[in-house]
Amino acid sequence: MRGGRSASFLLDGLTGVLLFLLLFPVIWIFLGSIKPDPDIMAANPWPTRVTFENYIAVFNKEGFLVALRNSLIVGLSSAIITTALAAPAAYSLSRFDYRGKAAVNLLILGTQTLPVVAVLVPIVVIVRNLGLTNTLTALIFTHLALGLPIAVWVLKGYIDAIPRDLEEAALVDGCGRFEVMVRVMLPLLKPALVAVGTFAFVLSWGEYLLALSLVSKSDVRTLPLALQTLFDPYQFSWGTVMAGGVVIALPAVLLFLVFRKQLVGGLLAGAVKG
Amino acid sequence: MVRTLTLTERAGNPSPARLLAERILPYGMVAPAVVVAAAIAVVPLLYQIWLSFQDWYLLRQPTPAFGGLINFVALFNDGALWSAVLRTWIWTIGTVFVEIAIAVPVALLLNRETAMARTASALILVPWVTPFIVVGFGWRFLLDSDVGAVHFLLETLGIAGTNSVLTDPAGALAAVTFISGWKGAPFMVIALLAALKSIPDELYEAAEADGAGPFARFRHITVPSVWNTVVVVGLVLGILAFYSFDLVWIMTKGGPQDATTIIGISIYKAVFLDLRPAYAAAISVVMLVGLLVASLLVLQLRRV
Repeated sequence: MRGGRSASFLLDGLTGVLLFLLLFPVIWIFLGSIKPDPDIMAANPWPTRVTFENYIAVFNKEGFLVALRNSLIVGLSSAIITTALAAPAAYSLSRFDYRGKAAVNLLILGTQTLPVVAVLVPIVVIVRNLGLTNTLTALIFTHLALGLPIAVWVLKGYIDAIPRDLEEAALVDGCGRFEVMVRVMLPLLKPALVAVGTFAFVLSWGEYLLALSLVSKSDVRTLPLALQTLFDPYQFSWGTVMAGGVVIALPAVLLFLVFRKQLVGGLLAGAVKG
Repeated sequence: MVRTLTLTERAGNPSPARLLAERILPYGMVAPAVVVAAAIAVVPLLYQIWLSFQDWYLLRQPTPAFGGLINFVALFNDGALWSAVLRTWIWTIGTVFVEIAIAVPVALLLNRETAMARTASALILVPWVTPFIVVGFGWRFLLDSDVGAVHFLLETLGIAGTNSVLTDPAGALAAVTFISGWKGAPFMVIALLAALKSIPDELYEAAEADGAGPFARFRHITVPSVWNTVVVVGLVLGILAFYSFDLVWIMTKGGPQDATTIIGISIYKAVFLDLRPAYAAAISVVMLVGLLVASLLVLQLRRV
């Protein structure tokens, strides 16, 4: 804002140092994943040579590929269902006035603020009573709670910003309500739909507690659970665990950063409304 | 361009059927999301209340039977649980404190229009979006007594002995609390940044013209403008911290001894290790009520 060039330069330098310190653990995880084991044992900060053997080791571990497949199935399914549920709900909350709307808003806000631990016990018991323990179905369904509220907020914000004239013009032209939504709204909403779907995927991808509580068999494990099993007491390697960590973290981080602009506003709105 | 479409049906007098459809439509569109939200949030909450009044201990009473206040009586006499509650408050307040302590200077630095500030505003989010399982194992790596970079630093500084801080009860709680705050801080940063950007420059210019120094401007303009954001976002982050599980379970499993057993860990252990689901439900019910009261108190800190 104000201040001379040199002051700005100094503050940029300070920002860089702070950013490095805050990201240091993440950088260290990445470096650990590309270091040969002797470098890790000697605690060398910088790898003597860059190696991919840790990544090869991870993908050769029994069950890692199965877990990768499971995580993709659960993540993509819950992302698609979340988006399909959130889009009409957001449209309804944005465009119509009706009795009970306040209650719906409250329910969605409440779902967002409710931490998983607070309802873990009944969810575990209900899933067991339904005979869905150790199924991907149970994970897909419970993971909907992670992204659905935020998806509704973000999409509602988007729809609020689209002028009603567009739809009214189409209505006057004789299009049905449904046609208006599909032909007019859907194309405009596409970027936002992709953003909230991606976010739902990212949340499901890294989810740990529900997976830990609902899954005990190796063929339905998701990636976070598979990473845990890499702590093999017999042939344990930090490099392998860090490589597994990078495989899990990288898609989540990249996808979030790509859609950051669309998501951050909705996340803040959700927090501040509470 | 929409108007150039050929008109197949001019909107005339709407038929009663069409009017009815128009009235039902909003409900129909919101219903699927409401049903799912209710199934994942409301039904479990109600079921949890019912469960908390059951006598259900898989080793002695394998099917639930009505037990009245049995779980609540047991809960109030459970010394280890109340230690965990106290620890959870220390952990929660510690986490939010670390989040604010990191976020305030970072947000002030990022509230500038330079390329560095813009890049950093994006990259700062990385710890926050990195899954707990990765962060937890990463920090175990950093704090490992044989190979950990941060462990060596702590050892040199005399904070840690030859063993990792994670093996020391007080050290472990301090370490996981700090890591929890470090991971949550970026959310506070982006919230603060949004609040800072909404302060009009004219306010600062006017204050400067009146002879206010940088500290006075911070104290009388910046702090009041972002105060409510800090309180509300701090509350949201506090609720999240209160119900934490992942980081602690991944890093210490609640140990050494019970040193990092916070409520989330107690609830998980009550279900899966002690096999007492009804007792765990009672803990959850009491914690939800306690947290609701605490949240209402925190909201009183807002300035109207």
